[in-house]
Amino acid sequence: MIAPESKLSRNEKAVARRLDEGEGGVILHLESGAYHGVNEVGLVIWELLEGKPTHRELVDALRERIDDPPAHLEDDVSEFLTQVRERDLIVVE
Amino acid sequence: MGGEQSLGTCFGFGVRSALPFQFLRRGVGEELEISAPSSEEEAPEGDLLVKWRPTPERPFEVRLFHSEGRYRVSIPDSGWYEVNVETRSVTVPGDADGVRREERLWSVPATLLLLARGDLPLHAAAVEVDGQAVVLAAPGTFGKTTLAAAFLSAGYRLLSEDLTCVRMQDGPEVIPGPAMLRVRRDVAERIEIGNVHRLAESEHRVHFAVDAALRGDCAPLPLRAIVLLRIADDGYRIEAASSAAAVRDLWNLAGTLPTDRDRTHSFTAATELVRSVSVWNLHRPLRYAELPNTVEFLVEHV
Repeated sequence: MIAPESKLSRNEKAVARRLDEGEGGVILHLESGAYHGVNEVGLVIWELLEGKPTHRELVDALRERIDDPPAHLEDDVSEFLTQVRERDLIVVE
Repeated sequence: MGGEQSLGTCFGFGVRSALPFQFLRRGVGEELEISAPSSEEEAPEGDLLVKWRPTPERPFEVRLFHSEGRYRVSIPDSGWYEVNVETRSVTVPGDADGVRREERLWSVPATLLLLARGDLPLHAAAVEVDGQAVVLAAPGTFGKTTLAAAFLSAGYRLLSEDLTCVRMQDGPEVIPGPAMLRVRRDVAERIEIGNVHRLAESEHRVHFAVDAALRGDCAPLPLRAIVLLRIADDGYRIEAASSAAAVRDLWNLAGTLPTDRDRTHSFTAATELVRSVSVWNLHRPLRYAELPNTVEFLVEHV
């Protein structure tokens, strides 16, 4: 579980690349080879992580970036962060 | 440079050397100097960058060191290769068997030269079909070399048997590699391989060189498709690979690379490749008798 005030950032060893329009993208850990396919929202989250937001700030910023955000957005973000954290693609402080 | 004549080409390099070579193609290319060390001193190792685990094609560990701007590659069955990517020169073991020495030269040492040139090296075979390149890769399984042999026997030009050089700058292209073919002994006993001549046998492999008439030069060929070989017991099926899965497979085919910069480059190139060329999953029966049908099916469908 990642707390709302936890500071989030990309792991320096992780790189992301966009695929074709509508196909999302892929994130790779350069040392471990851990690989994670993401959808378009996942790519937006990855972009927002560059600003090293807290979990709460990330959810707020994402809510502003996407049209018609779902009510369970915070849960979806938590699930995404848990997945990429398991692959050591982000740093949680 | 040492003043030697260009002997031929491989991966677009024009090889200059006093040593004998078996797998070069015609034409000219960027100069690559290959020499044997002037003394028998073992090269100092430097910092260990990478260990490559054994593979079916290379059943031993390969270690890569870096020191003073040069790479040094330790290959147990051949010796030390010293690669200077700046001056495009390679020192190869002087006392190694000539065929094996050249086969090993066109593996890890060549990978370093291709990366330095900005190309994408893939652990895959490639053949020419109608003037274009078709890459044959077998992620997590096997059969690419045997299928490449079947293409060659059917009269198609073999561009690479194990390491394929992809260049992205002018649209994806494949630059032909060494004109060699290594197949398992049991495979060599089961199928008749045409358009090659046998050079050597080792414990696990039979080593062939492609006949001169089917070598051609190293001019780049447009990349038509990448085929990921899968096994099926119920006939043939071909489908477009999903983009994310295709990037993952291509990234794995790029293998273990020495630096973060190389890994980032290869990952980026794999992503661009998937965006610009068709990647197919081919499910096919893995039986020797089916090889001609597999060739025919692929030529028709990709």
